[in-house]
Amino acid sequence: MRIAVLRPQVPFARGGAEIVTDELVAELQSRGHEADLVSVPFKWYPGARVLTQAFLWRMLDLEEADGRTIDLVVATKFPSYVVRHREKRVWLIHQFRQAYELDGTELGQFGSSAEDRALRRQVQTLDRVALGEATRLFATSANVAGRLARSTGLEAEVLPHPPQALPYRTAPAEGFVLSASRLDLAKRIDLLLDAAALESGFDVVIVSDGPDRVRLEEVARARGLDGRVRFEGRVSPERLAELYATCTAVFYAPVDEDFGMGPYEAFLSGKPVITTTDAGGPLDIVHDRKTGLVVAPEPAEIGKAASWLREHAAEGEAFGRAGKALADEVTWDRAIARLLS
Amino acid sequence: MRVAYFSPMPPESSGIADYSALLLPALRRHVDVTVVKRGAKRPPRGVDLAVYHIGNDPNAHGWILDALRRSPGLVVLHDFVLHHLVAGVTIARRDGHGYLDAMEREYGVVGRLLAHGVLDKRLPPLWESRPQDFPLTGEVLSLATGLVVHSHYVEEQVRAAGYSGPVTVVPHPAWPDPRPEPAAVAGEPLIGAFGNVNQSKRVPQLLEAFARLRRTHPGARLLLVGATSPGFDLERRLQRLGLDDEGILREGYVDEGRLWGLMAACDVHVSLRSPTMGETSGTAIRALVLGKPLVVSDVGWFSELPGDVALKVPVGEAESADLAAALGLLAERPDVRLAMGGAAQELARTTHDLDRVAELQAAAFERVAGGGAVDSAVLREVSDAAASVGVAPGSQEASEIARRLRDLQLGG
Repeated sequence: MRIAVLRPQVPFARGGAEIVTDELVAELQSRGHEADLVSVPFKWYPGARVLTQAFLWRMLDLEEADGRTIDLVVATKFPSYVVRHREKRVWLIHQFRQAYELDGTELGQFGSSAEDRALRRQVQTLDRVALGEATRLFATSANVAGRLARSTGLEAEVLPHPPQALPYRTAPAEGFVLSASRLDLAKRIDLLLDAAALESGFDVVIVSDGPDRVRLEEVARARGLDGRVRFEGRVSPERLAELYATCTAVFYAPVDEDFGMGPYEAFLSGKPVITTTDAGGPLDIVHDRKTGLVVAPEPAEIGKAASWLREHAAEGEAFGRAGKALADEVTWDRAIARLLS
Repeated sequence: MRVAYFSPMPPESSGIADYSALLLPALRRHVDVTVVKRGAKRPPRGVDLAVYHIGNDPNAHGWILDALRRSPGLVVLHDFVLHHLVAGVTIARRDGHGYLDAMEREYGVVGRLLAHGVLDKRLPPLWESRPQDFPLTGEVLSLATGLVVHSHYVEEQVRAAGYSGPVTVVPHPAWPDPRPEPAAVAGEPLIGAFGNVNQSKRVPQLLEAFARLRRTHPGARLLLVGATSPGFDLERRLQRLGLDDEGILREGYVDEGRLWGLMAACDVHVSLRSPTMGETSGTAIRALVLGKPLVVSDVGWFSELPGDVALKVPVGEAESADLAAALGLLAERPDVRLAMGGAAQELARTTHDLDRVAELQAAAFERVAGGGAVDSAVLREVSDAAASVGVAPGSQEASEIARRLRDLQLGG
């Protein structure tokens, strides 16, 4: 089949959506499909720009390219699903969250003016129309599907995607908790640092980078964690796999996350995950005392969870194995078979 | 966003006052609402939107129509037929010319002649005899910058009347279940009809149907709760049908607590209407909340109730017989009553959920208040971009852009 994978692109930014769409194209190609990525820059401000930038997708003609039919398009996140196509499949990574659950929070975009309020509603209308046109509608997690149902009344099938390809392996735990999330506020890495300050039974390794790195390093210093917390920045795939393999547990506790590849990567390394009750997508597979520990978003609770896993290595290994069994089920073969069915 | 809210409010005896009292706390979680004092002529300064609750009762809504005339805004249209309201703000204020003008404006010379006939008392009042033929909704529609209605029926009516502004269908909210103690009223089964006792509530047809039911179900009782309308001779009708001794239980106007208790005691609720003014029934919503099976007229909003919560009786010659059959079915089949009651409660919990309704209503307010500015901004940016690459107004390309904007409901 000739398939276009659709991805809005914020120039110079790269995150989970970029990883999964790149991999989807590669996996489709490896199965004999003629697949390509269609990307349009996205800017969501000021004012009504969020709508006019979304409208760019509507002006695309993806029915064919170079005189040959495009059989199917796979739209991913807002606003790529605004595109028109007779076989529009949506694998929803997320909607424009500022128009929904982030409205009125510090991560929101729309103010209280009549125009801003109407703008937010117009984004919701756009979603209802554009997503309602999809011939199949998938969501990457139950959390994303739930938000969609609440906001538009549309039902999506939950279809998780595999995490990034790494040389995953399992090795004996070396007593540290790993955080591999991007360093920004929404990932709540502060919780882990504060937990380490309260509980002395474990060390912390933080990889990846992001706009919050300098502040987090200052927090670590201020908490007196020198020597117990190590910031490694961006690391190679081999190093990341090694850290996953040798950690005691992986910390992954963003707020109301869409999907969350972190737990899948931890599980493929046979490691348990510490997350929080408000984490959203990760709760699809991090089940308390089955594949990890799910605790209140409080440093003391996270500290206790990390210490418990260090002191109960056998249970931690069992959680990791149970998690691996779940993660092993999420393969590109299965995802693509459902996506194209 | 600040909203000025024109509505009858408790302690006024009005279904719409009850509606607003129920809705406002939930609505205030979404928008900043100022309830305007009864009699105010204009919205307070600085509000983004004035919202006018318009119904057919001139006592409750006359002052609101006066304010709407001064400052157009969003109208929550509770009834499609507004003849009684218009008569109330014209004839009842000794403004016969206003009534003549209103009738002529909407129905031409024939309308004016009919209005003369009414003023001269040569014709019965049209708001009593033929309101559905002369709804007199035109003025309100011409002043509404947007509409909230409670049914697709009214949406269709306003569109047929030529209204082209934004219309949002927002269901009537459901009350929280007060879990009332059922009143000590017996019947096997007990059938309840709540509201004014008159012709338009199809009480004659209901009484005939109930008399038939009593032949096969002598233990059945019919509870009629509400004031008898002037000119409706209930006693004579009961005598004629042999229902004057037993079978009928009668209560007049009751307070809210007694109302819930009586409703809870009933096995079946009957909510009939014809002609419909396009209204929603607050008592039918209460019946849903209590999980009671409904028998309704197959008209207007009532027709839109799902088939698993309401048996719908067509209005017409066979009405009494159909009604008797519906009551007979429900009398004989407690399992059907139970299933319908469960579906009714589910409907109240979902479609009519108070928070959902408040969110839908707030969305409608926000779209009407700021939607024009958003539409303009989108059109300006898209047309500027198109013009900058040589797309001329009226060209095929411009038409295509316009079509795609319309697909997405962008740009107005």
